[in-house]
Amino acid sequence: MAASLTRFLERSQRTTHAALSSVRLFSNSNQQQPQPEVEDDEEFRVLNLRPVKQQFQRRRDIKRDDVTPPRTTRMAVDQDWTAAWPGPRSFHPASVPLPLRQGFTERGAAAPSKFANAELMKIPNFLHLTPPAIRQQCEAIKKFCTPWPKGLETNAKWRSHFPLEVITTDYCQSLPTVRNPEARRVTVSLKLSDLKFDDHARDKFLRLVGERYNKETDVLTFVTDRCPLRKQNYDYALYLLTACYHESFITEPWEATKSETDMEVYLFERNQAKRSTEAILNWNAAENAQKKSPSASYAQSVEQLINEGENEYNLAKYKEEVMKMLNVPTQ
Amino acid sequence: MNFLKKLAPQMALAESQLHKSAALHTSAVCCRVQSGRYRITTKRNRPLTYEMANPPHFIGHRKSWNSWNTSTLKDSQRPSQTAIEDLFIRKFITGTWHALVCSEIIIKRQHNTIRVASIIRQGISPRKMYFLIGYTEELLSYWMQCPVTLELQTVADKKDVVFKYI
Repeated sequence: MAASLTRFLERSQRTTHAALSSVRLFSNSNQQQPQPEVEDDEEFRVLNLRPVKQQFQRRRDIKRDDVTPPRTTRMAVDQDWTAAWPGPRSFHPASVPLPLRQGFTERGAAAPSKFANAELMKIPNFLHLTPPAIRQQCEAIKKFCTPWPKGLETNAKWRSHFPLEVITTDYCQSLPTVRNPEARRVTVSLKLSDLKFDDHARDKFLRLVGERYNKETDVLTFVTDRCPLRKQNYDYALYLLTACYHESFITEPWEATKSETDMEVYLFERNQAKRSTEAILNWNAAENAQKKSPSASYAQSVEQLINEGENEYNLAKYKEEVMKMLNVPTQ
Repeated sequence: MNFLKKLAPQMALAESQLHKSAALHTSAVCCRVQSGRYRITTKRNRPLTYEMANPPHFIGHRKSWNSWNTSTLKDSQRPSQTAIEDLFIRKFITGTWHALVCSEIIIKRQHNTIRVASIIRQGISPRKMYFLIGYTEELLSYWMQCPVTLELQTVADKKDVVFKYI
């Protein structure tokens, strides 16, 4: 404390002395001029126990490169946009010369501009798929295209040549792998009218395929997904179709034991009605005379009457056929 | 993801302890009310970006998602792996571009490509920035085993992304 006091006094004395000497400068400058400055420098040096901020104020100026202005300022009006934005890319405000704004603001304020706007970077953009770009790409891949085959102009034409319809699904996904287990599913469908059957084979085929056949649309559909790969499933579906088709033409020995109660529809050929009609038609006929058999239209009317049930039309048809067969004149 | 293998024994331990204690989660549902929301300061000087200014229930209305991928669709593959990878990418980039990232990290996945977009402060020289871009892309593509592209936008100052002060 005492030391600092004395120092303070000393300093104040010296300053007054300096002031005095400076006043005297004009009168006799030759002797006195260098004197006070030397005295000013000879101050007690202060021991800085604590570093004062002043010491660290010397800072190196970091040389920074100038930030280039946005590219949009240098863009020509008729530039080739497909060259400026060739592929899919997040939005960049300095590359898109559009005064875009996005974002919600309250009280009618302007929406945030395109600069430093993360919302514009988030949304997927289609700046690389402008109509000229699509046109360019189509032109580029045109040389790989082949003309549409002749003779397949209409739907009906190619349907008759290619009756089998195969449906598979490809999955586009944002994963490191391109595999998707769902892609193994194969659907093979065709119209049943494209296959050739006899009565027995058709009946047996429909029993084999079960509910894979849609009666309303006459479409047969095989869906296979039991194998891990699509190719295997496709092969399996075609195998199923082929196996069912050929199996339906085989008549097993036990199929002959099918009795009348097993029949799902009434057939005139194998019923009592046929035998009775033949008996009536061949009444009192000679032994070696040719046997008469009922007409096909009569057989059809009987089958219709029993299979579809009795209604006005079926009954009228049956009556007409019976009278025709028995040669009863109509009034 | 090799770094996950190191975590696996710890996670297994934590899981076994969890099963021992209780299988029922009984904490209060505070997270739903508080997450992604910011408290108003008395001086009204807390800077918020547009992303922070809109609470989570505005996702899809006022703001958009930060991760774009197909893993979160119904019946799609690898939802958990994708989420973990996204988290890792975010942590890696905010750490690598230390104190430079001014916005959320936007991760868009298309097929096997990962595109990472973000807003970066012009705090370092362009040369260092180019180095960091290459470094980040190279390391991330090695870990994710697929091409990673960085699509950055730079701002001169951190205040450029501030939407409002609360």
